[in-house]
Parts: sequence; structure tokens; C-alpha cells
Amino acid sequence: MRWVQRIRAVYQGFFLLLFLWLLARLAAGDLRDLPFSVFHHADPLSAVGLVLAAGTLPGALAWATLLILLTLLFGRVFCGWICPLGTLQHLASRLFSGRKRRESQLVNRYRRWYALKVYILVALLVGALLGTLQSGWLDPLSLTARGLASGLWAALPGGRLVPGGWLAAGLLLGILVASRFIPRLFCRALCPLGALLGLFARFSLFRIRRRASACTDCGACTFACQGADEPLGSHRVHECHVCLNCLPACPKAALGYAALPALPPAPAQPDFSRRTAIGTAIVTLTVGPLLRASGGGRDAARADLIRPPGALPEGEFLKQCVKCSLCQQACPTGALHPAIAQAGVEGFWSPVLIARRGWCEFACTRCGEVCPTGAIAKLTSARKTGYDGGEPVRIGTAFVDRGRCLPWAMGTPCIVCEEMCPTDPKAIWFVEVEEPGRDGQPVRLQRPMVDPQRCTGCGICENRCPVGAKAAISISSVGESRDPLNRLVLPPPAR
Amino acid sequence: MIDPYETRLSRRELVLRLSSTGLVAGAVGVGALLFHDRRAQAAGLRPIPDWRVPGGGSLPEAAAAHGADPAANLRRAIEAVGGMGRFVKKGEVVVIKPNVGWDRLPEQAANTDPQVVAELVRLCRGAGAKRVVVTDNSCNDPRRCFARSGIAAAASQAGAEIVDGSAAVFVPASVSGYSSGIEVMEAVLLADRVINVPVVKHHSLSRATLGMKNWMGVLGKGRNRLHQSIHRSVAELGAMFRPTLTVMDATRILLANGPQGGSLADVKTVGAVAVGTDALACEVWGAVQMGLQPASLGFITEAAQRGIGRADLALVKDLGSA
Repeated sequence: MRWVQRIRAVYQGFFLLLFLWLLARLAAGDLRDLPFSVFHHADPLSAVGLVLAAGTLPGALAWATLLILLTLLFGRVFCGWICPLGTLQHLASRLFSGRKRRESQLVNRYRRWYALKVYILVALLVGALLGTLQSGWLDPLSLTARGLASGLWAALPGGRLVPGGWLAAGLLLGILVASRFIPRLFCRALCPLGALLGLFARFSLFRIRRRASACTDCGACTFACQGADEPLGSHRVHECHVCLNCLPACPKAALGYAALPALPPAPAQPDFSRRTAIGTAIVTLTVGPLLRASGGGRDAARADLIRPPGALPEGEFLKQCVKCSLCQQACPTGALHPAIAQAGVEGFWSPVLIARRGWCEFACTRCGEVCPTGAIAKLTSARKTGYDGGEPVRIGTAFVDRGRCLPWAMGTPCIVCEEMCPTDPKAIWFVEVEEPGRDGQPVRLQRPMVDPQRCTGCGICENRCPVGAKAAISISSVGESRDPLNRLVLPPPAR
Repeated sequence: MIDPYETRLSRRELVLRLSSTGLVAGAVGVGALLFHDRRAQAAGLRPIPDWRVPGGGSLPEAAAAHGADPAANLRRAIEAVGGMGRFVKKGEVVVIKPNVGWDRLPEQAANTDPQVVAELVRLCRGAGAKRVVVTDNSCNDPRRCFARSGIAAAASQAGAEIVDGSAAVFVPASVSGYSSGIEVMEAVLLADRVINVPVVKHHSLSRATLGMKNWMGVLGKGRNRLHQSIHRSVAELGAMFRPTLTVMDATRILLANGPQGGSLADVKTVGAVAVGTDALACEVWGAVQMGLQPASLGFITEAAQRGIGRADLALVKDLGSA
């Protein structure tokens, strides 16, 4: 029966490598149209969260239903066969463990506190109902993408530094290290996606079948059990990752995996307390509004909260962004970074553009292409630039700091911002003057002015401004297309 | 020993388990279909109704009355254009939109005179209005504006509900042109009849604040950018908001330091009220009270070009003093 494990290992390896490869290609700026967000599209936690928070299941996220149907058929095969974080933990749990068989049996027993993940799920879903979507915090796909691409890879030579990346990396590493002590601790106790899939696994058709007449209760089936679901006795099908390690472990061949086996007796203790679940919901009803009242950009626009082009209005954006960080990996100039304080507590790790680190490339629409949830709308280049005849998509407006600008304040010629300005005609234009310099000789100066009707807020001017550290021209969010209340100038008169 | 794990499933249990799994699968599928890309179909802007009533035959388009008692002036002027019964029917919801922009006292003439507002409320109630709502989105603190203008006390005593800017709900509406994207006070959109009750006063940018500019007070956040092109913006507002009646309050007019005023030296007591169904004729009458040439005001010429009304002072029947 070892072949079962080999087949599973092949699946795990395939999906892990696919996940890593897609993420690496995305971060490397691969311009091919690869299915970068295919894992995130199939994420039922995001799908359910979005339906509750935003009342919509956008586009490709409908693939999540396929994963639910798979779970209804086979149980939590996603956890045991597909999930990259599950596979990474699976590997980590086998490194340096050196557990004796007896210890393995103990560590793979079901513990009541593994129900914590159910309460986490309840909190996230109630929070979503309140309009604040926080599932991405512990969603294994978002968590892994963030930890790898924003965290660990940044430490590699030539890596792109990400403020706060240490936090993402630390969370991922912590989960892997914990797996050395309790295998798949995250899956067993914390993963809200696993908890959600567990709800569906209770109805699964295929599951572990145990012939009690053959079973000697030796416990060998728990030596390598990943889910701590106790295949002997009252098997907890909602905890089972379907790793099938128990099948070949059984010396009496009493275990199998079959369609519609007879059900084992119910566990002596329920798997989670309804009272605690209701309590969690009540606590969330209190804490959720506190998160929303944390002073992000929801009620009043913030100058430094510059969202990617095509981002939904802030209130809607926070209902749909799962903080997967794919847009941040996709941004070719490295302009998109996790929000630390710009978007309030509930917007932590959502994407913001930091023009000193990168700029919004004029015709580039990659962030919207990879966004799995539609928090950033898919744009065409023609739509984004306004070359289709409409208004260009603006993310903000540039402002000249006349006290720092070389031609304005220092009597020194400079034209970099105007040179870089991508719009046609350019949003940056010059007031030309000839003034006597310090030595009395006339200096011809071209002083930059910003035309707010043309500026899209792309930020390349700020990025390239030679006035270091704090640029003499900088963008703020005013004028962004997504928020009609944050408009700066009047719309052009209708023709 | 009986091994329950080797017993075959009964047909009953087989059907039960298959159907429960099927039911969950079906529910997931139906849910996905129901919610898939749902946002795209939703959205939608609230329409701005046309609150005007059909033409009055031989009745004048507008009438102006003079006298020391503002309430009497209003009654006479409304009588002259057909009486309130022509405009408000039994059971209707009426919104009265005075200018309550500023934390000023009535004698400072920055807001509509409270006696005019209160009398208007009484006339609407007398005509059978189910509810009369007095509202404005003030520039200063709305509670102070409504209190110190005297409008909150006078209007609520006359039987109106006060909805100040702090209590008002703003919703996306089908506003176009320069105001597109700015939200509109929901109470106004829900009204059967709307009466615009501006005060005639000076404005530093547009030179005069009259009736059409008073619609600024039903707009939400973002309205301040309209000052970038004030004449066109005001004319656009006049084209989008078509009131049942315009009541132009010139009990006192503010001639300088507008639109807030302050000094009583800038206030002139005129003691007149004009009422009309032609908003632009009322606008012209207001400008004349300030000693301005109506044709020199950009928003009036723009509004005339848009056909909002007739910019003709002769349309306003002068009822003289009582």
C-alpha cells in the first residue's frame, strides 16, 4: 500500500512546485500570461468571505466551488494533497523530529484545543458580515505567498526589500518550526480554510473505512497521521487530511479508503463547543466595529493611501482585498507595498503605492490582472491610460514642493520630473524664467507646474526627483478615480 | 461479535447520506450562481424627480409682495400665484430648503428669515401636507446654524421636521456635469414637492447667492470644488433641481462680505418676498433687489441659455405694499 503515499507525495510535490514556480515567475516579472492566481481563485475561504462581506463572488473565484465539490467527494484532500503550506509543514514535521513510535502516537492524538481553528473561522466570517474581510491573515495561500515573496525572498541577494516583510516571514517560519514539535500544528489548530473545508468534509462520500473485526487497537495508524483525526475508534472525518498514511501502517490491513463506508460511533466529546462559537461571534461583533473605527481611509481620504490603479473605492476595497500580496509581487517597479499604518488596522498588509520605491508604469495593468478577488479591477492599457477616449485612471495627483524644487528654490536648472512624465500632453509643464543667479549672471530656469487635468498620479516624477530622501514633487491620493469624493478638479465639461 | 463496519449500508441510509451530500453540493452551487459577479448588476444612481406642477393658466409666473411683516408678504405672494393648494396636495411630503448655511443670527441676513420659513411650513400643513421637512447641509456646524438662525425653533413650532446636515443621509444620485459623483441628500429625493427658499445675499465669487446656488445645500462632500467654475456649476444645479416653487427671501439682504456677512452695516432691510414657478424669473428679481444687472451675472445668462426659465423681470408681478 506504500504506493498510495507515493502518489500523494507526487501530487504534493507537483502542487508545491507549481505554487513556488508561479510565485517566483510573478515576482521575477515574467510577462507571459501565466495563471498566477490559480491557487487563490480556488480558495473557498476567500469566496465565502467575499460573499459575506461584499455580497458578490467575483469572476474566477467561482473556481472555489470546484474545491468544495472535491471536498464533498473525497474529504479534505486539499489539505493533504494540494495545499503548499500543508506540504511545507509536512516536510518540516519530518525534519529533526526523531520521535519514537510511542511519542508519535501521543503527538498525533486529537486535542480539544484544535477546535481553535473553528472559532477563528467564526470570527473571520462574522467580521466579513460586518464588512471587514480579514481572512487573508491566516489563509494558508495568502500567508505562504506573503511569507515567501515579501519576506524570505527579500533576504536573498538582489531581493526587493519590503517594509514589514520580516513579519510575514516570521509568521511563516514560526508555523514551520512549530511543525517540528507538533506536526501540522497550523493545519490542526489554526487554519480557517481547513476548518471551512472540514465543515464540508463531514458530508464527504469517500472516507477512511475501518474493519473493527480486524483491528487490534494497536495504534500503528496514528504513527504518521497528519490530521490528528484518530482513524481508530471514532474517526474525525472533518479533521482528516486524507494523507492515507494510516492505510499501509496498519499491520492487519483493517483500514481502507472507500465510498460510503459505515459510520464510526460519534466521538465521546464534541469537536467544538457551540457556546464558545457563539461567544466568539459576540466578541467579534464588538471588536469588528473597533477595527473599522481605526482611522484608515474608509471615511476620509488619506493623502498617503495611494491604491493600485483600478482599485475599488476604499470601503469596497476592504471588503474584497484578501491581502494575498500577489499585486505587490506583480508590480514591475516594486511600487506596491504592504500598508503598515496607511489603511488603518483593518487594511494592514493591503497594497499601497510608495512612489519613492517605485512608480505606477503608465500602460501596465498587471496588479489588476493577478488580483484574485477583483479588489483591483482588471483594466486594459487603453482604458488605464485614457487612450480609449475616456478619462485616464488616476491614482492621485502630483504636487510640487516649491521650497525644495531646484529651479523653484535653488536657482538651479532641472527638468527630470517633466522628462519622466508619461502623459500626452505631459501633465508637467514649465514656467520659463530668466533670473540673475548668485553671481549676477542670468540663469534660464524651467519651473515645473502640474496640470491636474492631465496628471494620473503615477509617481514616476516623485520616484526620479533628484532631491533625495524627500522628493521635491510628490503624489498624494487626491484626484484618484476610484473615489468621486476625493476628486480634485472638476470633470471636463461634457461634449 | 457483530462488526458494524462490515455490515452493508441499508438502502435507507445510502439514500440519506447521498442526498445530504447532494443537498450541500446543490446549495454551494446555487449560492455560487446567485452571488457570481453580483455587484455588476447592482449599483444604480437615484433619479432626481421634477417637482414642478402643471402650468397655472392666466396666473402670473411669479409675484413679489412688500411690507414689514415677512409672513404676510409670503401669504400675499403665494395667493397671487394660485395659493398653496395649487402646489401642495393632501398627503404629500414637502421638503422646504431654506439657506441655513451659517452660524448667524437672523438680523445678520446670512440665512433665510425664520418667519418666512415658518409661514411656509404652516401654509404647506394647511394645504394638507402629510410631512413637511426643513433641511439644509450647512457650512458651519449644522446644529448651531439651525438653532441660531431661529429656523429650528420657528419651523418645528409650525409643524415641520428638522433634518440638519448632521442627521441627513446622502446617496449617489443622477447628478451630471461638474457635480457628477457628488452625493445628494436622500430626504430631498424622497419628497413629493420641494420648495426652494433662498435668501438674497452677496457672494465673493459669484457676486450673488440666489436660488440656484442654494441647491449647493442639498449636495454632500465634494461640493466645494464647484467653485472652480461657479457660473456653469450653478446653472447646472438649476437645470437638475426643478422646484415646485421658489421663494426668494429679501426681508433683509446682505450686500457685502458674503456669503457669511457678520456686520449689521452690510445688511439692508428690503422687506420683500417673491414667489414663483419660474425659478429664473425669481433669480432675476433677487439680483435686482441687490442693485445688480441680472445680465451681468454669469450664472443667470448660462441658465437662460439652458432654458431653465425666462430671465425676465416683467414676469414677476409686483403686488406692492399691503
